[in-house]
Amino acid sequence: MAAVEIRLLTKWYGSARGIEDVTFAIARGEIFGYLGPNGSGKTTTIRCMMGLLRPNSGEVRILGQRVAPGRATQHAQMGYLPGEFRIWGRVKARRSLRILAALGGDPAETRRRELAERLDLDLNRPVGDLSKGNRQKVALLYAFQHQPEVLVLDEPTAGLDPLMRQVVLDLIREAAEAGAAVLLSSHDLSEVSAICGRAGILREGCLVEVAPIAQIVQQGERRLKVWFVDGASVSDLLADRPPGVRVVERHPGMIHIAYQGSSDAVLKWIARLPVDRIATPETSLEEAFIQYYRQPHAAGKADGGNAPKGVRS
Amino acid sequence: MSRASGPAFPFVLLRFWLLRILPAWLGIALVVFLMQIAVSAIVHDNANVRTFLAFLNMLPSIIKTALGGEMLQSGNTPALLTIGYQHPFVMFLYMLFAVGVPTGLLTGEVQRGTMELILSRPVTKTQVYICAAALTLAGMFALVMVMFLGTVVAVHLYDFGQPVPLDRFLRLAVNGGLLASTFGAFALLCAASFGRLYSAVGVSVAFLTLNYFIAIVAAWWPRIYFLRRATLFYLIYYSDIWQSWPLRNMGILAAILLLLAVAGGIIWQRRDLPL
Repeated sequence: MAAVEIRLLTKWYGSARGIEDVTFAIARGEIFGYLGPNGSGKTTTIRCMMGLLRPNSGEVRILGQRVAPGRATQHAQMGYLPGEFRIWGRVKARRSLRILAALGGDPAETRRRELAERLDLDLNRPVGDLSKGNRQKVALLYAFQHQPEVLVLDEPTAGLDPLMRQVVLDLIREAAEAGAAVLLSSHDLSEVSAICGRAGILREGCLVEVAPIAQIVQQGERRLKVWFVDGASVSDLLADRPPGVRVVERHPGMIHIAYQGSSDAVLKWIARLPVDRIATPETSLEEAFIQYYRQPHAAGKADGGNAPKGVRS
Repeated sequence: MSRASGPAFPFVLLRFWLLRILPAWLGIALVVFLMQIAVSAIVHDNANVRTFLAFLNMLPSIIKTALGGEMLQSGNTPALLTIGYQHPFVMFLYMLFAVGVPTGLLTGEVQRGTMELILSRPVTKTQVYICAAALTLAGMFALVMVMFLGTVVAVHLYDFGQPVPLDRFLRLAVNGGLLASTFGAFALLCAASFGRLYSAVGVSVAFLTLNYFIAIVAAWWPRIYFLRRATLFYLIYYSDIWQSWPLRNMGILAAILLLLAVAGGIIWQRRDLPL
């Protein structure tokens, strides 16, 4: 049984669409990336998961129990890091965190102390006096301090320096290794590709893809750098390029192209000129991600539209 | 999987919120208490009271009504002591607490963003609402009891030359507490219904002010006397309370209080908070 199951979840804000028919699941021990540009519906999904919003239809199940809005379903087993973490500014970080932890019945003193040391955070200062990065550390403590079985993290490394980002990614990995299901919403695609096994991509409230990261990357544009032997006319070649081929960079005697679909036609097209050497730069998740947003509007949803094919969950 | 039982009551949140409102409560309670001592001291000083009442007689009747109306009779010591119970300044302090506490706790936490953190812990929305409601209603009632305590202390401090029936003051205080708590329940309803602090505060203050304004003007202007029935103050009729416990009016006030508090709870539970 999956730790998190979301089925046909739909939320409208009046006539404005939040999310529509979103379906995915997260297994125990899995880190699931949740991607999408601003306003695509990530926060809406997360708030429905937390029972903070009342969906129009569909359901969310956390650890097998159906989430009832406002009834704190399985919250004792959940760690939540909101995208915009705001806490009582004049209260010391330690006291704020202790109160919030005690609401679940567990003061979590030991774990909090360990985490604070690891994140190099002084808990004896009012949160309002802390820098943005340190406030984010308080947010991380809030999410992790009670060792939850389900972690819902919205931009967990926002505002942190590169060293601290690594610590946070380690924390997430360790939680997953201990069996926690993690939903990681992030704009940092390198971070997602580094720690997530699978990811879902949202566009305009619809989930257009749920697939392993490697598969998503493969569905992006493929890249090819070609150096031709001296004297070859690259301009003539480019003027007659096959459809779907995009020029990323060109120099005399060299082209860097991006393409989708079959490599066969592209290689045959390149072979019209004498080739010196070829390199295949790796496609990043970022490039793959951007591709999803280059698709026509009617590309459809992950549950049966014309979106790039992938593993459904 | 079997359905788990609901989360335990969040006494931690209740305590945290109590400590947050306690300084304001103590401040208001102190002023209300001292106000009763001061009024008693003034009433005790007969020469000055006579001057004071003569001065009041020169004022327009609308102001006299606001300060106690027919009770401002020289020689009626107990009635004069009730000035401290209905003085506009005391009313203002109650209004401050009635409006400030529920809106500060519910709407304030929502607007501050901290409600999202509270509701992400094992605490239901209903439990959060109950915490705010308990502090508002109990706080209001406790303030009125402090006011009564002020009278009790004053009676032991000063000799008025005639007996002061404390049981009547207790009836007055209990009824006042009920009225104040009902206004608190209205503010609670507003806090549960509005996403913005200024909207919740604005509507609560408008309701309270309108009630008070109509009660005073209607008492002064015979042509709109019937409007008194439209205000909650109509349910606190001093001469009735002076005679015995006005159980019917108390029942109506309690029912209105309950209705407002439950309506607020339902709205709070059902609506999406603007987090």
